[in-house]
Amino acid sequence: MIPIPYSRIACLALFVIVSGTACTTATYHRTQSPVIDQSAPASERPAARGEVAPPGGYQEPPGVQVYPAPRQQPPAVVALLDHAEQQANNGDLPAAAMTLERAIRIDSRNPVLWHHLASVRLAEGDAIQAEQLAKKSNALAAGNYALQARNWDLIAEARRTRGDASGAQSAEQQKRALQTR
Amino acid sequence: MAQRRKRGRKKSRAKKTQRRSFWLPILAMLAVFLTVYIAYLDFQVRQQFDGKRWSLPARVYARPLELYAGLPLTPDALDMELTSLHYQPVSSPRRPGEVSRNRNVFHLITRRFVYWDGEEASRDIRVNLSNGVIERVTHVASGKDASLVRLDPVLVGSFYPSHNEDRVLVKLEDVPPPLVNALIAVEDHGFYSHHGIAPLSIMRALWANIRAREVVQGGSTLTQQLVKNFFLSSERTLTRKVNEAIMALLLEWHYEKDEILEAYLNEVYLGQDGNRSIHGFGLASHFYFERPLSELSVDQFALLVGLVKGPSYYNPRTHPDRATRRRNFVLDVMVEQGVISRDEASRAKSRGLGVSRVMNKAIDTFPAFLDMVRRQLRRDYREEDITSEGLRIFTTLDPQVQWQFEKALDRRLGILERNHSMPGGTLEGAGVVTTIQGGEVLAVAGSRKPGFSGFNRALDANRQVGSVIKPAVYLTALEHPEHYTLATLLDDGPLTYTAPNRTTWSPNNYDRQFHGMTPLYLALANSYNVATARLGLDVGIKSVIATLHDLGIDQPLNAYPSLVLGAVELSPMQVTQMYQTIASGGFQTPLRAIRAVLAADGAPLQSYPLRVEASINPDAAYLVTTALRYASRVGTGRSLYQVLPSDMEIAGKTGTTDDMRDSWYAGYTGDRLAVVWVGRDDNKSSGLSGSSGALLVWRDLFARLGASGSLQSDVEGIEYFRIDPATGLRAEQGCENGVELPFIKGSEPVADAPCAKDGLPLQKPVDWFKELFQ
Repeated sequence: MIPIPYSRIACLALFVIVSGTACTTATYHRTQSPVIDQSAPASERPAARGEVAPPGGYQEPPGVQVYPAPRQQPPAVVALLDHAEQQANNGDLPAAAMTLERAIRIDSRNPVLWHHLASVRLAEGDAIQAEQLAKKSNALAAGNYALQARNWDLIAEARRTRGDASGAQSAEQQKRALQTR
Repeated sequence: MAQRRKRGRKKSRAKKTQRRSFWLPILAMLAVFLTVYIAYLDFQVRQQFDGKRWSLPARVYARPLELYAGLPLTPDALDMELTSLHYQPVSSPRRPGEVSRNRNVFHLITRRFVYWDGEEASRDIRVNLSNGVIERVTHVASGKDASLVRLDPVLVGSFYPSHNEDRVLVKLEDVPPPLVNALIAVEDHGFYSHHGIAPLSIMRALWANIRAREVVQGGSTLTQQLVKNFFLSSERTLTRKVNEAIMALLLEWHYEKDEILEAYLNEVYLGQDGNRSIHGFGLASHFYFERPLSELSVDQFALLVGLVKGPSYYNPRTHPDRATRRRNFVLDVMVEQGVISRDEASRAKSRGLGVSRVMNKAIDTFPAFLDMVRRQLRRDYREEDITSEGLRIFTTLDPQVQWQFEKALDRRLGILERNHSMPGGTLEGAGVVTTIQGGEVLAVAGSRKPGFSGFNRALDANRQVGSVIKPAVYLTALEHPEHYTLATLLDDGPLTYTAPNRTTWSPNNYDRQFHGMTPLYLALANSYNVATARLGLDVGIKSVIATLHDLGIDQPLNAYPSLVLGAVELSPMQVTQMYQTIASGGFQTPLRAIRAVLAADGAPLQSYPLRVEASINPDAAYLVTTALRYASRVGTGRSLYQVLPSDMEIAGKTGTTDDMRDSWYAGYTGDRLAVVWVGRDDNKSSGLSGSSGALLVWRDLFARLGASGSLQSDVEGIEYFRIDPATGLRAEQGCENGVELPFIKGSEPVADAPCAKDGLPLQKPVDWFKELFQ
C-alpha cells in the first residue's frame, strides 16, 4: 500500500497550501461524493491562507498572498479541492489525484489545481510527472510568484528524489529568485 | 442373429447360472455408467453455476455531465442529455430518473451511480439556467446551493463477444419485489416448496397438452427453465427432458432457492434485437423501456413476466394486442396470488404498454469514437477480456459535441457538394474534437455518415497536411527569440532552392504572387508559402522535424525541404495531437479517450491519468497562438467571423494540398480544439481549399458549441509592444497602422519606426487589435 511518509507529504502540501490548517486525521468515507453545499468549510479558506509555516522550512515572505485575489474559484472547484484534501489526508492518493483531475476539467487554467496534482504525484513517488505538472502550474501562474516559488520547491524536491542534485540546486535558485521579488 | 439365438437356446439350461453372472456385471456397469453420468451432469451444473456464469460485454459510458453554477449549458442541451439518459418527463418528480421542466428551470431526481472515484448519490435538485449558463443548482429539500452534482453517464456502446450475448446483471436484492412475486405467481407458484421438479404440474401440463393436441402449457419449474436456458438446446426430446429433470434436482441439491432465482432473473431469454439476444430482466428493462429495472411500474413488471412464455409471440413492439392481453393475464394472476390488490391491477391495466418506440440500438451509436476506445484498451487488455468480463469503461466522449460534430460535418458536405456541382456522396470528412489542457477526446468523426463503422478516417486516413504543418516551422523559429520575433520581416520574394543532389525547388504561393518583405506573424496568418519555405530552410529542416516530434508526431519524417509546406501524410488524430501541444501552451498531453476502467463488480482496474510533458517553450507557443489568432482575424481564416461572434477568440490554421486534394482546418478556442479534414476517398481533387471546405465545417460546429474562457492566459515571459508592421520597428506613437504584438522579454525591437519619429501619440486605438489584447 501507500507508504505513510508519502501520504504525509501530500497531506502537508495540500493542507498548508490550500487551507493553512494543520493536518488532522479526519475520517472520511470514500464511497460518498463530496459534500457540495456552499456552506462547507472550504469556502472559508481564504482567510486562513498563508498563516501557517509551510513544510520543508520554506518561509513565506510576509505580506505575500499566494493566490491572486481576483481569481474566483468556482464553488464546484472549492468543493473538489476540499474533497481531494480529505482523500489525501486518508492516504488515498490515487483518489485525491482523480478528484483533482475532475477539478481541472472544470477549471483547467487554475494553476493551484495543477500544483496540487503535482504534490500528490510527488507523494505517490512519481517524481517525473510531479516536475512536469509543477511546470504546467507555473506556466499558468503568471504574476503569482509565491505559487511559482512553491512549484520550484516541489521541482527541487522531485529532482532530489531522482538523485539529480544539481538540477535540484538550480530549482532552488529559481525559487530564491522568486522570493526576492 | 436368429441362428445364433437358436443355438444358444439349446445350451441354455446349462448356462443359466452362467447367464446370471453375465447380467450382473452389465447391471453393475449400467449403475456405474449412470453414476458417472450423473456425476458428469453434477460437475457441469456446479461448474457452470459456481464459475463464470455469463460473459458480460463491456459497457462504454460517455463522460458524465457535471452540473454546477457557471457551467456553459443551454436548456436544450440539458434536455437532450436527460433525454438520452431516459429521464422521464413528469409533472412532479418523485423517483430517481424523473424530471420536470419549466422553461429554464429543471427539477430532477438524479440516479445513484457508482463511479471510478466513488458513489454519486441520488439527489433531488433544481437547476436554473439563464443566458446559456447554469445560474444555480439547489437542493430541493433544503433550498441550499449544491456546488456540484454529477449525473449518471450516457451508455454509448458495448463491446460484445462474438456470439452477441448481452446482459445487464442484477442482484436479487436489487430486483423490485413485485417483479419477483409476479414471476413466481405466473411461472412457478410452488417455487419455494419443490425440489427442482413438480411432478403434479408436469402431469397437469401433459394432460392439458394431450387434450389440446399441442403444447399449450409448460409444467417446468423455474429451476427447470433455468437448466434449459443454461445448459441445453431447445429441442424437445425425451432425453433432454430427463437430463433437464436430473440437472434441476442437482441444482436444487447444491444451491439455495435465492441463488437459483437470481440466476434465472439474469438468464431467462426475453427478446431479440437483430443478432443480439436479450437475456435477463436487467437488459430487458433497458431494451423495452429504456430505464433500469428499479424505475419500472407494476404494469411494466407484468409485461416483462408475460414475455417469459414467448418473447417473439408476445413481442410488445410487433404484437401489442397479444402483449396487452398477456400482461393483463399476468396482472390477474398477481391478484389471485395476492401479490397486488384488485384496484392496483385495474389501474395497471388501464395504462398503455409504455414500450419505448426506438429500440435500444444494438449497433453502437458512435463507432469511430468506440473504435478509438477499443484500440486504447487493446494496449492493456486481451480481446476476450474486453468483450466478456463486463468491464465498465468510462470515456471522455461528450455526446453533445459528438452529435453537433456529426451534424455539422454531414450538412456542410452536402451544401458543398451542391454548391460545387458534385454528385452527393463525393466528399468525405473526418475530424477530432478535444479539450485543450487535459487532452481529452470529446468527439471523433470517422466519416460523414454518423453510425458508419467502416474505415475510420480520423485515425487511419493518412493525408497530406499542407499548410496545417506551418506552425511547427514558425515555432522552431520563435524558440530563438534572438533571431526571430513576430515582427521579424520575412522575405516572400521568389526562391529557388538547389538540393545537394542538384535538384531544384521553387515553391509558389497560393495566389501565385510574391508579397515581398512581410512581418513573420502575417506570413503565417496569410499562409505565405515562399516566406515559410525560406524560414524553414533558415532554421533547418531537421530542427523543424525535431519540433514536430516535440509536438507529438511520433512517426519518422524525411528531411525534404517540401516538408515545411506540408508534404507529409498525417491522420486527423495526429494533427490534433500536434495542435493540442501548441494550444496548451507547449505541454504535450497524450490524447485520451478513456478516463478509467472498472471491473464488473466496480473494482477499479485501471485509470488513465492526466500526464503532461513540457515539450515546447511556452513563450514560443504563446507567440504562435497569437499569429494563429491573426490568421482568424485578418488571414486565411477570416471568413470564420462572417458567422461567429466577433468576441469569440479563435486561433487556427487552414491547409490545402496540391490540386485541392485535401482541405484541412485546425482551430482552437479557450476550451476546445477541433481538427477537420475534408476530401475524397479516391484522393482526387475536391476543388476545396482549407478555407472553402474544412473551415466551414469547423465554423458550423463552433457556432453550435460556442466557446468559453479566454484563449491565452498571461505568460510570465511575454510583454506587449506597439509595432509598425511595415518595418517591424517600434511605433509607440504615430504609425496609424501600428499593432500591439507580444514579445519574449528582451527580444522586442529597440529602434523606432520612421512613422513613429515625429508622430503624435495616438488618440484612440485604431483597430480591433487593441481590444483583442486588452
